[in-house]
Amino acid sequence: MADRHQQKTIKTTAFPYGVGIFLCSLALPGLLVAAEGNRVEKTFEAAPNPRVTISNARGQILVRGWDKQQVHIVCSVVSPRVELDSEVIPPGGPADKVHFSTHILDPLVSGKDQTADYSLDVPMGTDLEIRDTQGSVKIEKLQGDDATVETVGGAIVVSDFTGHLFVRSIGGNIEVIRAAGRVEAYSITGDLHFVSPATSKLRATTTSGRILFEGDFPDGGDYSLSEYSGDMDIICPPSASFELNAKTDRGKLENAMPITIRHQPATPLSSANSLFGTHLTGKATVSLKSFSGTIRIRQR
Amino acid sequence: MDEIRRHRTAECDRFELELEAYMEGEVRPFVLVHLRECVFCKVVSEDLLALRTAASELPLEEPSPAVWANVRARLSAEGAFAEKEGVWSWLWQLDLLRRPVPVAAFACMLALGCWMTAPRNYPQLEASASLAALEGQPAAVRSMSFVSGGTGLEQVVRELEEAFKAREGSLAPDVKATYENSLSSLDVSIRECNDSLQREPGNSLAHEYLFAAYSQKAEVLSSALEFDEGR
Repeated sequence: MADRHQQKTIKTTAFPYGVGIFLCSLALPGLLVAAEGNRVEKTFEAAPNPRVTISNARGQILVRGWDKQQVHIVCSVVSPRVELDSEVIPPGGPADKVHFSTHILDPLVSGKDQTADYSLDVPMGTDLEIRDTQGSVKIEKLQGDDATVETVGGAIVVSDFTGHLFVRSIGGNIEVIRAAGRVEAYSITGDLHFVSPATSKLRATTTSGRILFEGDFPDGGDYSLSEYSGDMDIICPPSASFELNAKTDRGKLENAMPITIRHQPATPLSSANSLFGTHLTGKATVSLKSFSGTIRIRQR
Repeated sequence: MDEIRRHRTAECDRFELELEAYMEGEVRPFVLVHLRECVFCKVVSEDLLALRTAASELPLEEPSPAVWANVRARLSAEGAFAEKEGVWSWLWQLDLLRRPVPVAAFACMLALGCWMTAPRNYPQLEASASLAALEGQPAAVRSMSFVSGGTGLEQVVRELEEAFKAREGSLAPDVKATYENSLSSLDVSIRECNDSLQREPGNSLAHEYLFAAYSQKAEVLSSALEFDEGR
């Protein structure tokens, strides 16, 4: 009697496990299909120097240069009510232009559900335009013609880019590493960080963010850095050759480089708040401006 | 030319109808035949071609952010952004913008006409007059009036700010916070620069940063309004 009761117990408890395993085996492919459905991968043949644009609301965008004459994109979305729209111009043959945009199908989708993450590989010489409202943007190893990146709150990181780079974020931090060509970086509250630039021209402005410049000033380069209330740190090698014009209205100016002071241009600022001179032969031109922030110049 | 005008025929009317398509690159044999027969229409065609050539050689100048901010504020004030099917879609329906050559030619002629008929101004006298009118104003106001060409960037910013306040509720909380932080940061700089200019009217750095802060504020507000509309 006890054995029969035990057998019955085993049978009744084994049944739900079996059903569970069976149901799971049915559900698994469905889950995989659903995951696949939120990920889109596309490849387009591209003409020389194509133009690629991306418009996104939230999510990370990563763009890398590669040696194929193709634009390859992988896009993952969080919600099935968000999709990737792509437009190729011309419709047949190698693309001169490829436009990607995140399309929110349901206006009720909000917050993180709007997220779409992009990963792109683009040919060298690509002309890039990226707008990502609340997402971060990263560009790596790209020899481009022109790249424009704009965000509202997302961070922007560009490394090993050659060409004309225009980056702007209202509240996000901007980092530009080993850029060559011409760089323009603007933010209101974000920090700006430049590492080892080889740029011929650099324009950088932030209102309350901090500016950190680490690297040399290549010969003939023209560098203009301006912030309103954040601090500015310039760290350069002893071999840097530049002509300096630095001024701050209410902040301090701390210089640890052996600058040869030149004739001070007409300015109401005291010598404690402004510095005009050359380091070595003054081959690059460096202009540093702040209203109430501190400017520090020192050797690496 | 009046003499030729008197001999205007039905062919001239047809020529006018077909000229636009011909200039867009379509094959229109009638236009070619008529050009050989009618001196007036030939002159008109040559003028339009010359205008198109001149227009294509004009450099593309990017207006300052203040100009776009001004345009946006005006359009916003006129309710152009209230509905998606606004003034732009109405313009588009007119089919004018799809035919750029005649429109560009017309615009050039219009601009030329305005330039030729406008009364001659004396900028130096005007500048002196406007500076004289500002004599009693505080230094900061004079600075703004000078840098923004007298139209008042400050006023544009105020209008944009009102439009932003009316719509900020529709922004996602994190986006709204980013915009508000930035605007507050710019407001601090505007206030401090104004204070500085009250004490030292000749402070060029304060003038520079004050103008930059207003321009940036206009850009940030424009960006917020665009974002709102793009949702």
